[in-house]
Order: sequence, then structure tokens, then C-alpha cells
Amino acid sequence: MTCLDATKEIPNYCYGEISSETEETLEAHLADCAVCQKELARHRKFLELLDERDAMVDAGLLVECRNELSRAVRRQIAVEGSHSAGWRGWQRATEYLRDLSRVHIPFRIPVGAMALMFLGFLAARYTPEKFGGVREALAAPMFSSVSSVEPDASGQVQIAVDQTRRRLVSGTPEDPSIQELLVSGVNDGTNPTVRLRSIQILHEAPSNNADSQQVCLALRGALDHDPSAAVRLKALDGLKQCATDAAVRTTLANALRKDDDPNVRMKAIDLLAAHHDDSIVGVLQSLVQREDNPYVRGQMTQMLAQFNASPGTY
Amino acid sequence: MFQAAETVSATLAAPLDETGLIRAAQNGDQEAFERLVREYDQAVLRIAINILRSPDEARDVYQEAFLKVYRNLSSFRFDCSFHTWLYRIVTNICLDHLRRRKVRKEESTAVETSDGPVDRLLQLREEGPHSDPERQTWNQELAGGIAHALAGLTPRERTVFELRHYEGLRLRAIGDMIGTTEEAAKNCLFRATQKMRMSLETFV
Repeated sequence: MTCLDATKEIPNYCYGEISSETEETLEAHLADCAVCQKELARHRKFLELLDERDAMVDAGLLVECRNELSRAVRRQIAVEGSHSAGWRGWQRATEYLRDLSRVHIPFRIPVGAMALMFLGFLAARYTPEKFGGVREALAAPMFSSVSSVEPDASGQVQIAVDQTRRRLVSGTPEDPSIQELLVSGVNDGTNPTVRLRSIQILHEAPSNNADSQQVCLALRGALDHDPSAAVRLKALDGLKQCATDAAVRTTLANALRKDDDPNVRMKAIDLLAAHHDDSIVGVLQSLVQREDNPYVRGQMTQMLAQFNASPGTY
Repeated sequence: MFQAAETVSATLAAPLDETGLIRAAQNGDQEAFERLVREYDQAVLRIAINILRSPDEARDVYQEAFLKVYRNLSSFRFDCSFHTWLYRIVTNICLDHLRRRKVRKEESTAVETSDGPVDRLLQLREEGPHSDPERQTWNQELAGGIAHALAGLTPRERTVFELRHYEGLRLRAIGDMIGTTEEAAKNCLFRATQKMRMSLETFV
């Protein structure tokens, strides 16, 4: 094997993507070639460097994606539900009528009449709302919004209508399904009161919930992105229970850096101060000099003193 | 997330049994489907962001991929692992997006801010838990360097590199996903790593 061949095989060798024969040949070459050994060491260092890239995705974006998917799946279920209910009804009716052929003649007429009544019942039960089957609609009002309008070449117009059916779901705050809905509430883009109440209930619910990570992620997303300072403050309350978590501390440090509301910054400091870790000292030292709010600056200085650190970097 | 309170399932707290989850999801268990999504969605989003270099398009890919999984899960026959199947769907959608985009100039991920141009992809990444300022600066520079190096790859090279290096998929599986041979995927990976190394020379 030449050095050129070895250089070509080194990346595949590092990924374990070469045959055992090539591996043996390459290792034999490496044993005798200092240049290729150096090349292997450099390539390994390069791969290690790539692994330092932060593999996390933005929590806010992830939460948005999950919520959008949740809505899309619910729409899909609604569509499938209405189709399959109608289809099942029709299947049942036709199977019933088919079975009539196997019934003894004297019973055919009364059984046939009953089958027709049954068919009528099914028709009434499963007819779409626009034809009068409104019971379901009255119990659960439907909200529609037009999401796109596309004229086509034949002169027709295709309109995509998103429909949402309201349901009343109740349960205790510890119930995982209720918590799921509350997490969705935290991300409600339109109603800050819903976001605030959702966070409050999640915060007050017992902490041994089944998916506290999901709650934590939603709260971090709210602290990072929510336009309402009241909601961000409430999210900070909720994050108290997981304030030792490294990802939460990163979000808190980000709030300290970026949040334009001094109350949010003050509260973020409180949470960071509750658990001593040296990495926060650097963040505080870099921020204390440019903090324009005297109260926040005072609190930062106090926290640095508590950590036995100077209020500046030298 | 997808179901009402009356159908509470106890699966959330249980350890992940992927085959069991897939079978449950195939039988219409929404909770199981949701757990599958949660298991893989960060990776899906990361792959889409890194291949397409656009958070907005990555969000569309996320939707499209998981809805496709939802609609076609009943046809999944365990001939390959679930993640291979899922990643194949994701890479195909990403490649479709790239094909559609081909006619127009590739979008820049840089946005103008008061502090000058900033890469949106770098803005997306959170800082690591170690907040030493020097380390942070170095991490930011490195992230910028890697983003720049990835931007210098062709979409195909980027896809192969992303799936092999960051997702740990075998080259044979990657070749299957993008409709090429293992050998061609290997050559593509070699070209990608060479370009990346040249671009990141100052960090090595």
C-alpha cells in the first residue's frame, strides 16, 4: 500500500468502514510509516473537533415543530375518523343485507324491513353535518379557518380549510394527558392568559410527573421566546424545580444576557444563585459591567461576592 | 399530546421498547406514536437543519416526515431498523427540497442585524453547559467554522457526511437512502471530509 492509498483509506478506517483485508494492509503500512501515522493522528483530531459541535437543537424551534405536528396529526385523525365511521356504517349495512340471502324466506320481509330501518338509522347517524347531522356539531362547536386559496388551470379554486373542534377535557394536574395539554397551552401563540395559567398549574402540580423533561423543555422555550414578560416570569417559577439541570442553567444564563425585562433578569439571577457552579461566575463577570439596571447590577455583584469572585475579569 | 384524557396510557414513564412502540402505533396507539416522535425528532430536525441550512425549511421537513411516518407506519414491515426507515424518509424529503430549490439561488443563512451579519444557524445552537467565556468564544468560532465548512459541501456530500458522522449510519444504508452504491457513498464521504479538513485547518 502506498502513502496515497493509505491517506484515502484513513477516513474510512476511522469510521470502521473498510474490509478486514484493507484494514490489515493499512495497519501494516501505518506500523512502518511515520508520515501516515501523523496523518492518522491529524484526522482523528479533526474528527474529535467535529464532535465538539453542539448537537442540541433550539428548544423553541423543537417545541414549535412538536405543536405543529400535534395539530396536523389531530387533523388527520379527525379526517380518518369521519371517513372510517361512514365506511364502517356502510360496511355493516351491506353485510347485513348480504346475510339476508341466507335467511329463510318467511323471515325475509320483516328482517328486510328491520335492515332498512337500521340503514336509515346509520344514515342519520353518520350523515355529514351539512346534510343535517348536527348533533355532534352542536355538542362540539367547529372552528374553521382558511389556510390557503389556490386557483387551478381549469378555473376552479382549491381552498384548504383547517377545522378545529372544541372539546372539554378535565382531569387532575398530575394526569399525564392533562400535563400534555398544559404543555401545549404553554406554547399557545395567541393567548397569553392560557400560557400563564398553563405554566402556573404545571408549576403547582406535584413534581413527580411522568414527563418532567417535557415540561422543562416547554418552560425553557417560554423563557426563551415568549413575548410576554409575565409569562417569562411565570416560566422562571416553573423552572425552579429543575434549576440544577445544565440545560436549564444555560437557558437562565441566556435570559440574563438577552432578556430586556429587569424583573426576569433578577429572577434568573435568583435561580442561578441557588446552586453554586463556577461556570456562572464567568457569565456574571462578563455581564455585570454592562448591566444598565442598578438593582440587577447590585444583585449580580452580591452574587459574585457570595461566590468569592471579583466583579470583573482581568 | 394527541389524545384526550379518557385514554390515558401508562407508556410515558416506561423504558423504550421500540418494536413494541411501533406495533402499538401501528394499531393506532397515539401515545406510542408520540413516544416514537420524541425519540427521534431532535435528530430529524438536526439532520434537516444541517442538510438544508434553513430552519424554516427544516421545520417543514419535520412536519412532512412525521406525517408520512404516521400515514405509512402500517406498511412498515421491520425489514430494516425504524431509524433507517425514518432517516430515509427525511433525507428523501430534504433532497426533494434541494431539487426544488435548485432552480433558484441557494439561500444564505446570514441575516443582517445591528451587529452586522449573523448566521441564523449559529443563533439556533445553544451554548454548552460550560460557560467559561474563553471556551465559549472558541466554541462559537468553531461552530462558525464547521457551519462554514458544511456550507462549502455539495448537498449530497453534506447529506452523506451528516448521516455518517453525526448520525452514525453505515455507508451501505446511506447509499440505499440516497439511491447510490456503498462505494459511491464512500467516495462522497472522502470528498466531504477532505473539504471539511481543509476548511477547518486553522482549528486542527
